[in-house]
Amino acid sequence: MQTRSHTGTPTSLRVGRWAFVALAAALLASGVIGGLLRAGVAVPVPDDSAWPGRAVSAHAFLMICAFMGTVIAIERAVAVKERLAFAAPAASALAGVLMLAGMPAAAAWLAVGASLAFIAVNTIVVARQRAAHTALLLAGAAAWLIGNLLHALGNRPAMVVPWWFSFLVLTIAAERLEMTRLMRRRPGAGVALYACLGLVLAGSAAFAWSPVWGGRLYGLSLAGLAAWLVCFDVARRTVATDGLSRYMAVSLLLGYAWLAVSGLAWMATSAGIAARDAALHALGLGFIFSMMLGHAPVILPALARVKLRFGRFFYIPLAVLHLSLAVRLFLGPNDLRMLSAGAIGNAAAIGVFALTVAGAAVAWRLKHSPSSRTHDAISAPH
Amino acid sequence: MDRIQIPAGADSPYAYAGPEALRQPIEAALRRVVDPEVAMSIVDLGLVYGVAVGDDRVEVVMTMTSAACPVTDVVVGDVEAELDRVVPPQMTMHVDLVREPAWTPDRMSERARSFMGW
Repeated sequence: MQTRSHTGTPTSLRVGRWAFVALAAALLASGVIGGLLRAGVAVPVPDDSAWPGRAVSAHAFLMICAFMGTVIAIERAVAVKERLAFAAPAASALAGVLMLAGMPAAAAWLAVGASLAFIAVNTIVVARQRAAHTALLLAGAAAWLIGNLLHALGNRPAMVVPWWFSFLVLTIAAERLEMTRLMRRRPGAGVALYACLGLVLAGSAAFAWSPVWGGRLYGLSLAGLAAWLVCFDVARRTVATDGLSRYMAVSLLLGYAWLAVSGLAWMATSAGIAARDAALHALGLGFIFSMMLGHAPVILPALARVKLRFGRFFYIPLAVLHLSLAVRLFLGPNDLRMLSAGAIGNAAAIGVFALTVAGAAVAWRLKHSPSSRTHDAISAPH
Repeated sequence: MDRIQIPAGADSPYAYAGPEALRQPIEAALRRVVDPEVAMSIVDLGLVYGVAVGDDRVEVVMTMTSAACPVTDVVVGDVEAELDRVVPPQMTMHVDLVREPAWTPDRMSERARSFMGW
């Protein structure tokens, strides 16, 4: 009945797609388990396996490079529509597997390869559209490469992790900048954004010789970026809508609040205050994961070719994420039980989100089952 | 494949060439394809450049705002699915995704611009 202009998907491609999704999910799960163990949670893991220990020591690598890097690289590959572009996410996913299998050097260098491939894909994007946001995406890819090189060369996490986060922050900022084209841009807004993002990169570099200056610059840049986003992002307007667009705006605005908290926390660490958990997880969970939860109803159908039915139940994992993060970061510093409880809540949010997505996929199928589709064809278009 | 020439339109949000009877249903169909983040249709956003209806095919010329957007195929699929509901069954749909002329904010409709604070 549908006369689509492209052919149906061969089975091998569908199987490959789902295998990729399963692998990404497994890498996320291992990263989360490592994070829970680090937060003092007694996760039931097999005694005779070595991977939980590796998940603990490689938590940042698994979460940022193996999981998020893979997802972002898949997004870019889908956007450029070149088969070879999928080499980048395949490499970053495989790097995660190698890390869990006890081959950290191979994993680290394969991640370098993944980010090199990712830079190549982003240069294609820039060639197709020369714009500020595509240039920023390329800069984010370069930040990932720098972090991966530093990591492969054996540098300490304090030097490496800020570059990894810069990759994610620049990528998100680029996409938000692109959205602001829909609004009338205040003069000076573009320059202000580039200043913040330049400071992000300068701060990342500063950690190489001065943790204090690194913390100051990095923290200031993130706080400045949060202020910019609150002032100039479309979320200010779209929060007044309803349905999916409101949900996305809420997840973004909550994320911007945590980005500001993270900036303050990084500055606090440079002043000797023990705020590292907040610096890292207000950023990784509060900002980045909130963005992912907000965009998943739109991105997952594009990447995994599964249709989702949006509903208010999507607010549940979002609420669990933000409430548990508040518990972890505001009550956790003085109370390990609160920190662990918050971390369990963070993990639960991700698990609840996975269930929510599965439920949304089933709900879409039920609504668009063959019997109801026939009904649609008969009824007049409204 | 012959490209159907699309003349410049006067009162519609995009150039339209084809039977008058299909003009409104096609526009209504395209208005059902929505950017989910801003809850505005691709017509309001000014992404649709033109529609041409021939004897056996409907051609839509449109653009996207970003070359880095992974949702493009989903949007194209939605356009085809919505058009499929309103055009005669023997017609095939073709979506031409172009990068030139590049999208600019002045292509947005009045309603879209006022919502975005222009």
